Amino acid sequence: MVRMASGAAVEVRAAHKSFSGHVALHAVDLTVAKGTIHGLLGPNGAGKTTLIRMLAGITSPDSGRIGFFGEAFQRKHIADIGYLPEERGLYKSMRVGEQALYLARLRGMDRKEAAIRLKTWFERLDVDGWWNREVADLSKGMAQKVQFITTVLHAPKLLILDEPLSGFDPINATRIIEAIQYLRKEQGTTVLLSTHDMSSVEELCDAVTMIHQGRVVLDGQVPTLRRQASENRLLVTFGGPAMAFTNALGFDADLIEVSGDSQNGLSKASLALKPGVTVPDWLRGLSAVVPIHACEPWQPSMRDLFLHAVDGPKANPS
Amino acid sequence: MKTIATIIEREFVTRVRRRAFWLGTLLGPALVFGLMLFGVWAGEQAQEDVKVLVVDQSGLITRLEPRLGTWVPTNPTCFPERTHLAYRFSPEPLSDSAFLASDFDLMVQFDDAILQHAKAMMYYQRSPAVVTSGQISRDLSEAIERFRVKEEAALEYAAYKRLKTNVNLVGQDIETKDGGALGRGAIGFVFSLFLFLQLLIYGMHVMRGVIEEKSNRIVEVVISAVRPAELLAGKVIGIGLVGLTQFLLFSALGFVTTWLGGWALEAGGWLTLPGAAENPELAALTPDFGTWLASRAELSFLLDVNWGLMISATILFYAAGFALFASMFAAVGAMVEQESDAQYLMLPVMVPLMASYLIAVFAIQNPEGWLSIVASWIPFTAPVLMLVRLPLGVPWWEVLLSWLGVVATAWGVILLAGRIYRTGILMYGKKPTLKEIWRWVRIS
Repeated sequence: MVRMASGAAVEVRAAHKSFSGHVALHAVDLTVAKGTIHGLLGPNGAGKTTLIRMLAGITSPDSGRIGFFGEAFQRKHIADIGYLPEERGLYKSMRVGEQALYLARLRGMDRKEAAIRLKTWFERLDVDGWWNREVADLSKGMAQKVQFITTVLHAPKLLILDEPLSGFDPINATRIIEAIQYLRKEQGTTVLLSTHDMSSVEELCDAVTMIHQGRVVLDGQVPTLRRQASENRLLVTFGGPAMAFTNALGFDADLIEVSGDSQNGLSKASLALKPGVTVPDWLRGLSAVVPIHACEPWQPSMRDLFLHAVDGPKANPS
Repeated sequence: MKTIATIIEREFVTRVRRRAFWLGTLLGPALVFGLMLFGVWAGEQAQEDVKVLVVDQSGLITRLEPRLGTWVPTNPTCFPERTHLAYRFSPEPLSDSAFLASDFDLMVQFDDAILQHAKAMMYYQRSPAVVTSGQISRDLSEAIERFRVKEEAALEYAAYKRLKTNVNLVGQDIETKDGGALGRGAIGFVFSLFLFLQLLIYGMHVMRGVIEEKSNRIVEVVISAVRPAELLAGKVIGIGLVGLTQFLLFSALGFVTTWLGGWALEAGGWLTLPGAAENPELAALTPDFGTWLASRAELSFLLDVNWGLMISATILFYAAGFALFASMFAAVGAMVEQESDAQYLMLPVMVPLMASYLIAVFAIQNPEGWLSIVASWIPFTAPVLMLVRLPLGVPWWEVLLSWLGVVATAWGVILLAGRIYRTGILMYGKKPTLKEIWRWVRIS
């Protein structure tokens, strides 16, 4: 058995996976620290599901290593994993409680223990009273809650959630976010969260890994990433035609995005100053040509980081 | 092992508790029996009222009744008034247009050539039911027979009837001294028919179950907790047990019904021994149900059938056959997302099943013909065919070898189907080509 570096819940090293000539994962590294909520981001088809299925023990990499809490990943570890796939469902012809019990018993729990824990979770997520209802009667949000409960019921050390908030209204999405935070805080659960919902990433995630076309394009702590990405970034509000502004920039700054506001005739531009250019000197020169109304440091959102990483994966901001 | 037991439990319980299962189990045999009765009844009902004009051009079997001025049969007993059949007689045929205009449905016409070639013409607008033409043929045959017996042999018809002999062949196997093989062949067919139906119906259950889990998208949750092989095994065993339960309930139901029926007949004193009508001594006896069965030539084979052997063989061949076919059905289910896409993929599973049914139907006629013997050795047709042959006596080692063949084949098919299943259940989107399925088998 290969000993892996301790301290990490999940350690993927140089994982490679291809399907009939198509490379889904290309030398992917991923480290998820114990007790953290780690975001796994990437556009559709980036290889997230492939990576997640490997971590859930459903498939295995063609080459590379996977470590799980300091040990090489083995079949026995799946008992410590809770996996909520993106495409998820329930047996329609079973009752809610009966089905939750069944899924819990597949995870190795005994019936009594499972029933007690289910009761607590049903109350926590407002599903109590639905125990004897047919699954076919559940609304989509209700079914999603039941699925979430069956995923976390056996108190796994690692929780893999693939788009856990899709299909929820804002109220119920908040309940789920609270539940995820509760699990991390009270049970020390490590969470790997795959999502397209950038606001939930900002709200929940300690760190993120972004993959694009089977490769890691962004990886790190969320605050660090955002700080790194905000270095030399400015948001400038200006008047007049955008063309004049663009021309005036010269070689001192790279324009990232311009958005105009037709009401007051002002436009906003986000840009990156070249190294060595100082803000006061640069502003002085620019305002001689274009009317500048405001200039402030620009803090990119996770969405901006996402778009930037996907649009220009070679220009890695870190 | 514990997880497989959990899966088996779910597959079994969710099916057996459905009302449809009990309706099928209790009403199924009643329905089959009812359909058979309905068939007999409908056959009788289908017999419409038919008016027949018998044209006896040579006056062989008819004469003019002077008082009535109409033609009547020389011997009226030959042409009795029947429920659906009315005869009128004439020496002259009607012209085509006159026949069409008349209220006759049939016109049967013959002259004295009938004595040589025994043929009569039957004209019709609509061809009559087989029962009807058979009736007419029998009536006419008897009339011609009576005529010939009288004219050509100067014999009383009663004497002729007494002399006339129909030889029945009573079969007995020279080695086993076994009579009643034909009736027991039918019993074998009934068992094989049940086996065929259970394999088909519950095999389809497995396929539907796989498709349901796949299209419901619950399969990914389940196989993150258990191995695909465990899920497949649990599913096949669980559903297989449902089919087995149903078969055992059918058997129990059959025995209980027969026993209750026998008891009722006994208690009601309705049972009489054959020949009781002529023999007052026999009539005085009230036999028990078993004795009565033994005394009836057409039913006595029921006592010769080794029911214990039939039921245990059915269970064994069902178990092996179900493992074989259900895993194929499961592989088909894993390849598609909805049942309608499964049609053409089901062909390789359905062909051997249907073939074994068809061969079994032929085997009733000739249970010891080479086709049924060979088919009872081929693993894909053996479960159904061995049951047809079994009541007629098959050496135990042959049964065992055939069963082991099914088990070995099932083992191989399970390995292959398991590979298709493992990959297929996570594949969504376009339907896989044969080439892709072959790759699933090779790589996984």
